[in-house]
Amino acid sequence: MTVLCVRFQLPPESEAALPGLLGLLEEFTPVVEALPPDGALADLRGAERYFGRSAVELASVIRVRALALHGVDCVIGAGPGPMLARVALRDARPGVTCAVPEDAVAEFLADRPVAALPGVGTATSRTLCEYGLDTLGRVAAAPLSTLQRLIGARSGRELHEKASGVDRGRVVPNGVSLPHSRLRSSGGTPILATERPFPLDELDPDRHRRALLSAAEELGARLRALDKVCGTLTLTVRYADRTATTRTRTLREPTAHSAALTRTAYGMYEALGLQRARVRALVLRAESLAPAEQASHQLTFDPVDEKVRRVEEAADRVRAKFGPGAVIPGALAA
Amino acid sequence: MPGFTHLHTVSGFSLRYGASHPERLAERAAERGMDALALTDRDTVAGTVRFAKACAKAGVRPLFGAELAVEPPARVREDDPVRRDRRRTPVRGGAFIDESTPRVTFLARDGARGWADLCRLITAAHTAEALPLLSWDANHADGLTVLLGPASDVGRALAAGRPDRAARLLAPWREVYGDALRLEAVWHGRTGTGPGSLRLAARTVGFAAEQGVRPVLSNAVRYADPGLGPVADVLDAARRLVPIDPAGELDSGAAWLKGSDDMARVAERVVEAAGFRRETAHRLLEQTRATAAECLVDPEDDLGMGSVHFPEPHLVGAGRRTAQRALASRAAAGMVLRGHAGKRAYWERMHHELDIIAHHGFASYFLTVAQVVDDVRDMGIRVAARGSGAGSLVNHLLGIANADPIEHGLLMERFLSKERVVLPDIDIDVESARRLEVYRAIIGRFGEERVATVAMPETYRVRHAVRDVGAALSMDPAEIDRVAKSFPHIRARDARAALAELPELRALAGEQERYGRLWELVEALDALPRGVAMHPCGVLLSDASLLGRTPVVPTSGEGLPMSQFDKDDVEDLGLLKLDVLGVRMQSAMAHAVAEVERATGERIDLDALPPGDPETYRLIRSTETLGCFQIESPGQRDLVGRLQPATFHDLVVDISLFRPGPVAADMVRPFIEARHGRAPVHYPHRDLTEPLKGTYGVVVFHEQIIDIVAVMTGCGRGEADRIRRGLSDPESQGRIKVWFAQHAAANGYDAETIQRTWGIVEAFGSYGFCKAHAVAFAVPTYQSAWLKAHHPAAFYAGLLTHDPGMYPKRLLLADARRRGVPVLPLDVNKSAVAHRIELVSESEGLWGLRLALSDVHGISEAEAERIAQGQPYASLLDFWERARPSRPLAGRLAQVGALDAFGANRRDLQLHLTELHRGARGGGGGQLPLAGGRKTAPAGLPDLSEAEKLSAELGVLSMDASRNLMDDHRTFLDELGVVSARRLREARHGETVLVAGAKAATQTPPIRSGKRVIFSTLDDGTGLVDLAFFDDSHDTCAHTVFHSWLLLVRGVVQRRGPRSLSVVGAAAWNLAELLEVRAEEGLDGVAARLAEPPAQDASAPADGGGSSPARLAGSDGRPAPAGSAARDPMEDRRIRMPTGYEMHPWADLRPAGEGPAVGRKLWHQSPGSAG
Repeated sequence: MTVLCVRFQLPPESEAALPGLLGLLEEFTPVVEALPPDGALADLRGAERYFGRSAVELASVIRVRALALHGVDCVIGAGPGPMLARVALRDARPGVTCAVPEDAVAEFLADRPVAALPGVGTATSRTLCEYGLDTLGRVAAAPLSTLQRLIGARSGRELHEKASGVDRGRVVPNGVSLPHSRLRSSGGTPILATERPFPLDELDPDRHRRALLSAAEELGARLRALDKVCGTLTLTVRYADRTATTRTRTLREPTAHSAALTRTAYGMYEALGLQRARVRALVLRAESLAPAEQASHQLTFDPVDEKVRRVEEAADRVRAKFGPGAVIPGALAA
Repeated sequence: MPGFTHLHTVSGFSLRYGASHPERLAERAAERGMDALALTDRDTVAGTVRFAKACAKAGVRPLFGAELAVEPPARVREDDPVRRDRRRTPVRGGAFIDESTPRVTFLARDGARGWADLCRLITAAHTAEALPLLSWDANHADGLTVLLGPASDVGRALAAGRPDRAARLLAPWREVYGDALRLEAVWHGRTGTGPGSLRLAARTVGFAAEQGVRPVLSNAVRYADPGLGPVADVLDAARRLVPIDPAGELDSGAAWLKGSDDMARVAERVVEAAGFRRETAHRLLEQTRATAAECLVDPEDDLGMGSVHFPEPHLVGAGRRTAQRALASRAAAGMVLRGHAGKRAYWERMHHELDIIAHHGFASYFLTVAQVVDDVRDMGIRVAARGSGAGSLVNHLLGIANADPIEHGLLMERFLSKERVVLPDIDIDVESARRLEVYRAIIGRFGEERVATVAMPETYRVRHAVRDVGAALSMDPAEIDRVAKSFPHIRARDARAALAELPELRALAGEQERYGRLWELVEALDALPRGVAMHPCGVLLSDASLLGRTPVVPTSGEGLPMSQFDKDDVEDLGLLKLDVLGVRMQSAMAHAVAEVERATGERIDLDALPPGDPETYRLIRSTETLGCFQIESPGQRDLVGRLQPATFHDLVVDISLFRPGPVAADMVRPFIEARHGRAPVHYPHRDLTEPLKGTYGVVVFHEQIIDIVAVMTGCGRGEADRIRRGLSDPESQGRIKVWFAQHAAANGYDAETIQRTWGIVEAFGSYGFCKAHAVAFAVPTYQSAWLKAHHPAAFYAGLLTHDPGMYPKRLLLADARRRGVPVLPLDVNKSAVAHRIELVSESEGLWGLRLALSDVHGISEAEAERIAQGQPYASLLDFWERARPSRPLAGRLAQVGALDAFGANRRDLQLHLTELHRGARGGGGGQLPLAGGRKTAPAGLPDLSEAEKLSAELGVLSMDASRNLMDDHRTFLDELGVVSARRLREARHGETVLVAGAKAATQTPPIRSGKRVIFSTLDDGTGLVDLAFFDDSHDTCAHTVFHSWLLLVRGVVQRRGPRSLSVVGAAAWNLAELLEVRAEEGLDGVAARLAEPPAQDASAPADGGGSSPARLAGSDGRPAPAGSAARDPMEDRRIRMPTGYEMHPWADLRPAGEGPAVGRKLWHQSPGSAG
């Protein structure tokens, strides 16, 4: 009973508070792993002995301090390892820490749905449920070879171990808690997203392109403000019937240059060839973000490219001074 | 100033384009002082007949024409500067509907020749592959006037500011049409130079003067009244399948049927803008008038209304003789063949009938029908005549009708007499599954130039209107679906009235305001055609001139030639129509007979069954008649239970009594009373004993009325039938009464007898049923009941394969189980494409029913065929490789146990299939782990639980094949104290009971009291429970009954006879919800749910009653027909019949919800269920 999984109940707009809250955890143990946007894992192996309290008791202390110092409530799961702590978190409520009993791990897991395991996403859990393996108990009971046939050799083995309660993971201090609000995490890759909804079903390609242009401009500006570059751009088109089409393209070089982002977004949009599709929203996401100083840039003999980048730089400075709407592309001004 | 004539007007028959009905256009033209009006619908003349009739009524001269898309001539196409590059195929949503082809208006000018040209052009346009397009080669005609408007290629060149190009494009048109060419100027008040702009209109007039082509003025009318622009926008959106774009180009709102003065002002503006003096406007109007005056097509003479055209005699086996001679000799041959040669009465009747036929010259018609029937029979297809034609001995002798009319007392006069001048009507029933084969055979026999099927316009009703308007207004699709499905299948114009009045719509009415303009637009779409389908039974037969009288277009699915006119139109046009009905029951019986022969070698001749089979009648009397033709509905089962038929005649009477007429005139009760001796039999006079004897003195049949009138007045049966037809009209009824009294008195009947007889004639006269119909219906009824009694397994196999009845298949399966027919599961090694029978126990001779592959969800015909061909399969691998099922299909087969024979459990099989699929995709033959030779190795996955298996059966087969789905809920139902259908039979009259089951059918038929009653049938595994909800319970129950699949109902038992039993519902709950509550919260949760007040009450608006008339008065939004607003809404729409029988306005409609429960919906979605 040494690892806690904490989820702070942060309102979405104040995700920036996470680093401070991580600091709170670090008062108990140096082994803290941030799970952005609002969670963290903490290994209390040493702390239990140091404070003379069990992990569950420490969980109460953490909650009290989070409430007192930051005014933020939290839910906490406890378990022998990080995986089990995360499973336990699903059952925890504010004030009630859910702990996995160390000697009855398999029983604890048996009735839980497969999707409760970290690392089992919708696709895997759908596959497993199709074959009747809807609880972890059933997964543990199924032959390893069958599991491997279902979801692949490595994931099958890992799933089988996890479902049997074998938790090989450990808490890895990552220290880097992302300092920006609106920077979300999915699968460990930081992303930046912007959405352009339409009030009615929109079919007009010109209005689509305007939306894309403004979205790409916004993304570029935000990336530059963060000193980041993005490696891939994803376009999601949402339709009236609540379905969506997603296209991802890797940029030729990681960049935060609005013109390059716009070009890529237009390319993806044109490839869809939409005509009668009832578009309700366009979402543009910048993915695989990396620090701007690590980005390379192919120089050319074409002076235009150089000029455009310098104009952009100047425009950014104007925006910094007079607000984000001070300079916009002419196409959006009308 | 003489009136203006609109030369370019479209009606609603221009699908999703025109917004007004042709009748409305004709009325408005008359109101606005116009003497003539043209109807030029897009690609069709389907509105012609209705338009011509309306014009005749309104006193307006009709002009006929059509607007067609025309392909530019080849030389123009080549130098077209605009190259259209191919667009990428969209990943979603589909491509735009291409409406870029130029459109031109054609007007029929020279009488019949003009009309024939118009028909030919439309037929030619519809031979194009995608949308109708007239190729340039086919674009020539002598009898037509052509209007080149803004949508034509010339108009477009002018709009683009290219008079030079316009001149070049005009040249080929002038070559073809010369002096019959006109340039059409249209001003809709738009700006710019596009269609409808003043500048384009002016350019057109100027261009016409320059080129020496006569200009005309039109308004390109799309709707009759101003203010319908938004409706036109919705129609545009529905046609182009896009939402309305408020920022895009909307309808100008000016395309209405403007009056002469308005058009004169338009003419002035146009000529002024063209640079002429204002006075020249009258010359433009004069040209328009002259063009209209030239177009002379007379509806009677030129369209052929009122004359008849039969196929030529040599085509129907008359050779060089006249048709009448051929008919007489065939009839005589039939006398000998059927053994009537020695009977004098038959000869007399035959000659009498032949006289009548000769009198009308209908001999070719009889020979034509006989020819068709012979051809169908030669193809080995079951065929039977229905309708009044069965009353003719000649039809019997020609082999058209099976029943002997003299034996059954059927009258020729009901069908055809010298006094009747309308076309006789013989309907023939064929097997539904082979209906198209029959059509092709008819076409093959008479040739494409004489045969066409009949169109059936599909019109907007409320659900489609909500869907199309909702999509145009960018509403959320899920929301549209919900709103549309909450409505019963009512007229679109009643949408707001229904919201105000129907209890099951109260929740929706509460949020009515949220949808804004939706309701107004929905009501405006009312009854506009939205598509054209092939009529399910009508076939036109004519002489070789057919294509000159109707345009023929290919049907979308089958590619059969179809006339653009619907069934009423073709009668008016004097086109001979033969109704060839596809009857599923005939297919089902044919399948059953074929199965018996395949499995046992026994040949059953259904047409030669022994009459009066006791077991058959025992079955019918037991009321377990599910699946039997005509007597399976809840009402019929009730009636059969009370009537207890014992002979064929009883069946005939039973079928006749269960018709709206007899039910309305209350013939049922006196008949039942007299039949069981509870009331004495009365005859008004002893002379009338003979006709009324068979029905205990109650008038049931039309034939009896004919006889009564003929006997009392001595006027002859032909005249008597004419009198009978007059009875339904209250005006002529008065005259007939006087006439009847005079003649009867002259024949020596006393006043009291006359009065009593007249009372009967008056009450039942127009509501009886034609006995010939009933006899024709009773034959398949007896045949199907005989099959059910003697070959139940084969009978169910036929029913399940062809699905003829009103009940879902799962109910038939439940019935089969109840009657002891073993239901054998699906098995890829044993099941065939269709349902089959299989010997289960040799000793008892018990036959079981093997489920069919074709019932598996998503199986294609080819796949089913391939699986059946490849049997037997040794292993899963063998099956996969030879039957080559798609992956999802194989998965479904595994789920329902069709692959159980290959070993392993159903989930293991799924895994193997996935791997086989992956292996096949990867190209390398995957190694399948085998155990014990051919068996598939288990993979250790958990098998489907029993509940999951049932769920899979419902999902895949839409049937609970292994056991009844209600069985699983038995414990809960026992806790509630629910009475099963079997135990209900012992319940006392007036007892309050709880019943539960899966909803099998829901109806709101018209009934005598004029109230709306919801009838519903529940199936609980032990039998059927028939429910009735009267209107005092509708507020609380209607929504639940219409929108739930599993129902729990509290009600009172009603008994009307030993076998007649129903439950009058007082409260209803959604059983599926209760089951969930029971599982999650236990019995206390259920109690809490039952204690809640019914949900419907809470949402009812407090002022619901008071506000509804007010809402209705203004609900039209448009000028309402005078006087309608002031009256009480219910009073206005309640349909009153002359007998004092009132019909509830919402009765007789397909109710709300999605019909009876099938498949998945009956089952809760369990988290672990497969697939």
